[in-house]
Amino acid sequence: MSRSSSLGRWVPAIAIPALIVTGALVVPLQASASSDLPDQTPRQLLEFAASANVPALSGTIDQTSNLGLPDLSALGSVAGGAGGSGSSGSGGTGLSSVIDLATGSHTARVFLDGGNARVQVMDHLAERDVIRTADSAWFYSSGDQTAVHVALPAHDGTGDTARTAPDGTWTPQVLAEKFLSEADVSTSVTVGEDTTVAGRSAYTLVLTPKDTATLIASVTIAIDSETGLPLSVAVDAGADSPALEVAFSQLTIGAPDAALFDFTPPAGTTVTEQALPTKAEIQAKKDGSQKDGSQKDGATRNGAEASGKSAASAAEQPTVIGTGWATIVSVPASAVPAEMLTSPLLDTLTQPVDGGRVFSTAVANVLLTTDGRVFAGSVPVDALLAAAAGR
Amino acid sequence: MSAAPPRRLGLALLGTEICVLFQRKRTWAMLLALAAVPVLIAIAVRISSSPRPGRGPAFLDQVSQNGLFVAVTGLVVAIPLFLPLTVGVVAGDTIAGEASNGMLRYLLIAPAGRVRLLWVKYVAAAVFCVAATLTVVIAGLLIGLILFPVGDVTLLSGDTITVAEAIPRFLAIAAYVTVSLLGLSAIGLFFSTLTDVPVGAMAATIVLAVVSQILGALPQLDWLHPWLFSTYWLGFTDILRQPVSWESFGDNALLQGGYILVFGALAYGRFLTKDILS
Amino acid sequence: MTQPADAELAIETRELTKRFGSQTAVNSVDLAVPLGSVFGFLGPNGSGKTTSIRMMLGLIAPTSGSVRILGRESPADLAGILPRVGALVEGPAFAPFLTGSQNLARLDSADPLASTRTRSARVAAALDRVGLAHAAGKKVHAYSLGMKQRLGLANTFLMPRELLVLDEPTNGLDPQGTREVRNLVRSLADEGTTVFVSSHLLAEIEQMCTHAAVMSAGRLVAQGTLDELRSVGIARVELTTPDVGAACAVLATLGLLPEAYVADAAHLVTAPLTGDRRPAAHEMVAALVAAGVRVDSFVIQESSLEDRFVALTGEGFEIVQ
Repeated sequence: MSRSSSLGRWVPAIAIPALIVTGALVVPLQASASSDLPDQTPRQLLEFAASANVPALSGTIDQTSNLGLPDLSALGSVAGGAGGSGSSGSGGTGLSSVIDLATGSHTARVFLDGGNARVQVMDHLAERDVIRTADSAWFYSSGDQTAVHVALPAHDGTGDTARTAPDGTWTPQVLAEKFLSEADVSTSVTVGEDTTVAGRSAYTLVLTPKDTATLIASVTIAIDSETGLPLSVAVDAGADSPALEVAFSQLTIGAPDAALFDFTPPAGTTVTEQALPTKAEIQAKKDGSQKDGSQKDGATRNGAEASGKSAASAAEQPTVIGTGWATIVSVPASAVPAEMLTSPLLDTLTQPVDGGRVFSTAVANVLLTTDGRVFAGSVPVDALLAAAAGR
Repeated sequence: MSAAPPRRLGLALLGTEICVLFQRKRTWAMLLALAAVPVLIAIAVRISSSPRPGRGPAFLDQVSQNGLFVAVTGLVVAIPLFLPLTVGVVAGDTIAGEASNGMLRYLLIAPAGRVRLLWVKYVAAAVFCVAATLTVVIAGLLIGLILFPVGDVTLLSGDTITVAEAIPRFLAIAAYVTVSLLGLSAIGLFFSTLTDVPVGAMAATIVLAVVSQILGALPQLDWLHPWLFSTYWLGFTDILRQPVSWESFGDNALLQGGYILVFGALAYGRFLTKDILS
Repeated sequence: MTQPADAELAIETRELTKRFGSQTAVNSVDLAVPLGSVFGFLGPNGSGKTTSIRMMLGLIAPTSGSVRILGRESPADLAGILPRVGALVEGPAFAPFLTGSQNLARLDSADPLASTRTRSARVAAALDRVGLAHAAGKKVHAYSLGMKQRLGLANTFLMPRELLVLDEPTNGLDPQGTREVRNLVRSLADEGTTVFVSSHLLAEIEQMCTHAAVMSAGRLVAQGTLDELRSVGIARVELTTPDVGAACAVLATLGLLPEAYVADAAHLVTAPLTGDRRPAAHEMVAALVAAGVRVDSFVIQESSLEDRFVALTGEGFEIVQ
């Protein structure tokens, strides 16, 4: 009698952990369970996505990178020079920011309202903010308590810039637009199974490169069934988990608190005033980007903007080899930022190959030749070496 | 007399249990040690030149500008070791401590009831978590007021709020940290039902808190991190964003609730079937 | 609550057994403690007394068998049993950093039936009853063993109890304290409380109890009223006489089996008096005198509880396993 009753008392002790483990395994499955939406052709879905107009939203974006890079968070803070106690709290700009984004995962909150935008990269015990309004842009880093202010001409506040995360955080919109613009003969576009992102039912668009020369296996974009807003983008490079994934984990459509866009740097902050390029420089930059803008690497462009440097105004322009997914960008030696080549990280990040060093990830490779040129693309290293030696 | 005894939550017992907890010199010694953390930080900052941003514990560079940040810095320093240490002592002592001095049999004969005693002991340990966290926060705020100027509080997002707006946030931080320690308390309670040697239960609890944090620092164990009870321990800084990010508060509460249920159930199973031989 | 048929028993165990691993601490014990009795629970150290008491109070689960206390099943209905039972188990134990009255108040607050309003008055009364009123505000770590023992007794007096279970209540007490405990037990019994006292000291049980049970090596070897226990023993006739041979012959004719001893100057003849061979004393004396035996002394020696105890549990210090 006592034997059975003492066993009975263990029932909750066994049942509750079992229930919790089951729940933890089942609930995520249900959350991503497909919702039943009306069928769409790829073209309908593309048009729907292209017509998306969500001027105001607040949301949280999770970005995970699984690019096959070593963990560089410790190095990142060395390069930034001023990482807080948190490993990813680096407030550095340029190369270290790019490395920071390329490794590990990040969470950012995004607030949009017309021409106003605010992005908060939520670091460990720190935060990096970008606040963009019609007439100015602020960059603030709590880790080293610095702020950069850029005064903008009043007429420049268009929706397009607002939707580009100036900090280099890739919002779903930025990535989706890049890939949608490439949906041409080089890509087979299909509609995948319906899904749920941030609690919203969504269509998925699957872009599969026809060109086998590229590293990218497919790109999956979730499109909100209600608004057409891209909710997540996943870049698959053939591994089990996506090489790069950006997704809303929480999303509210509607105007956020207007006070969020009213930024005054706190007392004790080192404020740097950054001058905007002159109109002539802007025009020159615009001409350049009209030629090859669509193929230009998003990360590089955004990184340059984040650093607030007008690096691209050099006389030498990058050239493009090939088309579509297997495009290789070639940067002449004179246009390569010196920081990139002198960085102490270079030896750690790159492997030596015949004719230079290679920075290799799951989705893209970068070749730095011994004579200082840079070749980059979503192609195997051999293709880059061939391009470098090809002429 | 023959009627079944009324079902009570044991509030009277809980009352005396909390009194007993705070009648112990050991409890006060631990709270004093916790209060010393922000006080020592504040004094160190006061007598040294102001630290360079980015050096030392997070928020340390803010302290000299705003004394209120002593409380936050104190928590950042106390969370990895000092708070788990004191919570481990109290939670590990809950049942094993009574067993070791023989009181357990008299409490059960009294009759406290095994479920009620377990519940009361856990709540008392949770009360200590509140007291421990508030001790760090209040000691930090007080020493900050004394040694440094106090003014508008700069949030992580760069926005500035008034002291009046900041006080509820500090209380929310205290709540966050308290919730963070509840899972560890449940683990300590379970360990405490396994042994009649309180020091063993305390040590096991504290070691587990350290191990959990070490595992949490290993990037190779990414998949495990969301399951570690220490995962959100430093996430209280989300309260210092503008607007407040409650997401990690909710995730943390859910995680700690899971630990309370699992280890509470294990403690229940163990304690109800245990032969009290002490 | 239906009153069970055997409500006259305060404690009743049926084939109560507890095994720790391969060792059997309590082996199929059938105990019956009548209501209103002062019941002595005798046995050498390690005979399973405390283990039995812990099972009665629900502290440890029986391996098999059942316990009924005051008509209710234990451990199923412990919540209904324990408030009616006061107990002192294996010595007193208190939080050393609390005062005597704080310790009692704490234990009292654990009883869901105890009223918060009357708590301090009841604590003071209980302390007064065991003579600890002067030490109520002292921390327990400053108490002597005897004081702790009294405090443990005071704990059982916090509420009116129907049954008191006292495990070795006089341990650590001086002779005066021992006498006080005896008087307390008697006064409680007079009030109608059933008292279940365990002890390894026979004298203590003989002085306090109406009933007793004897444990040895985990088994219950005897139980009943003290008179019943004594009567099971063997009475003897003892006489001293210079005429040893004649005396033996006379006793033999009465159906007895006499033995003769010569010690010092006295010559002793004894014979066991068992049930079917028990002539009345006057018969034996008349026969002896008629045969011309010179009788210096003549005694019918009733068996003592001690003989019985020793016979049941063995002599000396060795603990029967």
